[in-house]
Amino acid sequence: MANLEVPRELREEAKAHDMYLHPIDKDTYELFFGPQHMATENFSIILKMDGNRVEKAIVNPGFLHRGFEKLAEQRPYFTNIALLLRICVPESDVPENIYSMAVDEIVGWEVPERAIWIRNVVLEMARLSAWMFWIMGFGNEIGLYTAGQWAAAYRERFMRLFEELTGGRVYHIYTVPGGVRRDIPGDRWLRQLRDTVEYLKGKMRDFDDILFDNYIMFERTEGVGVMDKKFALKHAVTGPNLRAVGVPYDVRKDDPYYLYPELDFEVPVLKEGDSLARVLVRRYEMEQDLYILEQLLDMGPPSGPYMVKDPKLKNLPRFKVPAGDAYAHVESTKGDFGAYVVSDGTHKPYRVHIRGPSQSHGVTVLEELLKGARLADVPVILKTLDNCPPDIDR
Amino acid sequence: MKMESVEKPKVRIVGEEKVKLKKSFVKPWMGIKYLFKKPVTIKIPFEKIEPAPKYRGFHTLDWKKCIGCNFCGQICPARAIEMTWLEVDGKMEKRPHPKVDYGRCTFCQFCVDVCPTGALGFTENFYLTTGGLEEDLELFNWVPIHPDKVREMNEKFGDYRFPVVKIEKKADGTYVYHLRDGDKIEFKILGYGLRPPKKPASAKPATAQEKKEVSKPAEKKEEPRAEPEKAAEKPSGE
Repeated sequence: MANLEVPRELREEAKAHDMYLHPIDKDTYELFFGPQHMATENFSIILKMDGNRVEKAIVNPGFLHRGFEKLAEQRPYFTNIALLLRICVPESDVPENIYSMAVDEIVGWEVPERAIWIRNVVLEMARLSAWMFWIMGFGNEIGLYTAGQWAAAYRERFMRLFEELTGGRVYHIYTVPGGVRRDIPGDRWLRQLRDTVEYLKGKMRDFDDILFDNYIMFERTEGVGVMDKKFALKHAVTGPNLRAVGVPYDVRKDDPYYLYPELDFEVPVLKEGDSLARVLVRRYEMEQDLYILEQLLDMGPPSGPYMVKDPKLKNLPRFKVPAGDAYAHVESTKGDFGAYVVSDGTHKPYRVHIRGPSQSHGVTVLEELLKGARLADVPVILKTLDNCPPDIDR
Repeated sequence: MKMESVEKPKVRIVGEEKVKLKKSFVKPWMGIKYLFKKPVTIKIPFEKIEPAPKYRGFHTLDWKKCIGCNFCGQICPARAIEMTWLEVDGKMEKRPHPKVDYGRCTFCQFCVDVCPTGALGFTENFYLTTGGLEEDLELFNWVPIHPDKVREMNEKFGDYRFPVVKIEKKADGTYVYHLRDGDKIEFKILGYGLRPPKKPASAKPATAQEKKEVSKPAEKKEEPRAEPEKAAEKPSGE
């Protein structure tokens, strides 16, 4: 047998960097978790293990770094839509919307009512398809693969609806400053959407049966990765993760945009702050999203144009935005998603800053919560925090 | 978006009584009923789904309508479009036409939106796959062909594949597009960029003045579209 002894100098250097950790004594070792692991998507964690317990976790992001914010400064305003939506893959309409809202505010356009309605429907549909994506991941992590496969099948229905509305399945490139790019394909599409909502409402009970009421899910998540209120607020956690520690903060209620002031829905809040609370909050929000979509469909699309009429839009590549700045944010499934756009009066933005929710709960909070967790709980904590790697890397 | 203008709605907060669930040992077995239902998966190649109408696929180009304004090249987020000077049947086209590189294209179709004459369009064809041979990879860098031709082939084959099977490149710069139904489109690529290429053979012996004279008539051709072209020179220089 070959001698597996690590040279002393190497071991000392590794120790000094605090990154490498060779089997120093019997039970301590280093484990590279991801990016091949299914739970981590495009993201990895270096775990320092002591037996089955995590001693220290170091998040290792950067696999998806493309420098979105810098690239956005070099492209015309409308073109940026095709770039910025890649910041959140499962919910690509959110970056489109925040950027468009910010540019709308700088230009001072009054976006037509029909466009607002379509944007709102698209956002809610994106939320639902992102929930389906999350169930897919979460179900797989805790070993309930059936639920994950159902969710993937139901997500396909939304992809199909998006395909007909926008012409794309995952990257829709649909919401642009001033409105949306295409009109609704017709009443047939609205009927299909209503059918899908009805269908999913029926299926929610099946999801309850197989996943959310399942004792396996309870056993795996109860008391795992507990976060307290003070800690969450200190680390600027938003979204369902914050609502699971007892803070009723929802951008749709606290800083309403689009048609949300007219819509009626509930904000679920739990106090425990463990993985189970995060899962249950998400499940209840899914129900509320279906309810919101139903209300929007009852409202019906207002008549009128779906894009502002502005003579400046005829020369789209050279479309100039007056100097100014604006911030807009929406509630995504991951949390509070915001964009800050600064214009210096030319046809390219001076600066685009994206405030992503995963930056907080995907890096600092995750590192804290993983301390002392069992190895089998790592994917559970990771998936109940629901981070989005491209948003961390940006 | 403005906080002052919108009244804060009443927040209805729901707590444990509604959100919390009871764990169950029996309910998960209810999933078994799906064993007796029809599967949702699609059995390719025996079944297939059609792409939605107006699905954003490959481009089409009406060469007669295209005025070579380079709006498409300017808006393209991936810089996949290159203006190309063509010679068809021994006659040079008056305007450059866009050449689309699908290695870069993101299928956002902003180029179709900005096209002022409606020359650039798109079809539902979406198969971006090849056998992986070197000559296959060159397929996906083409000057799009007429929409009617693509539609005709779609009706004939109905599988939404790339309309060109083979691009043959000859030594003198002639390109032959072998279409799926056996037709051929033959043309010569003279050069790239917004400025028309200089003719090497017929050029007069050069003095500085004469050079200017040669370039002038070429510029006159561009007159109706002079403005965007001047503007376009900046990004191309970057």
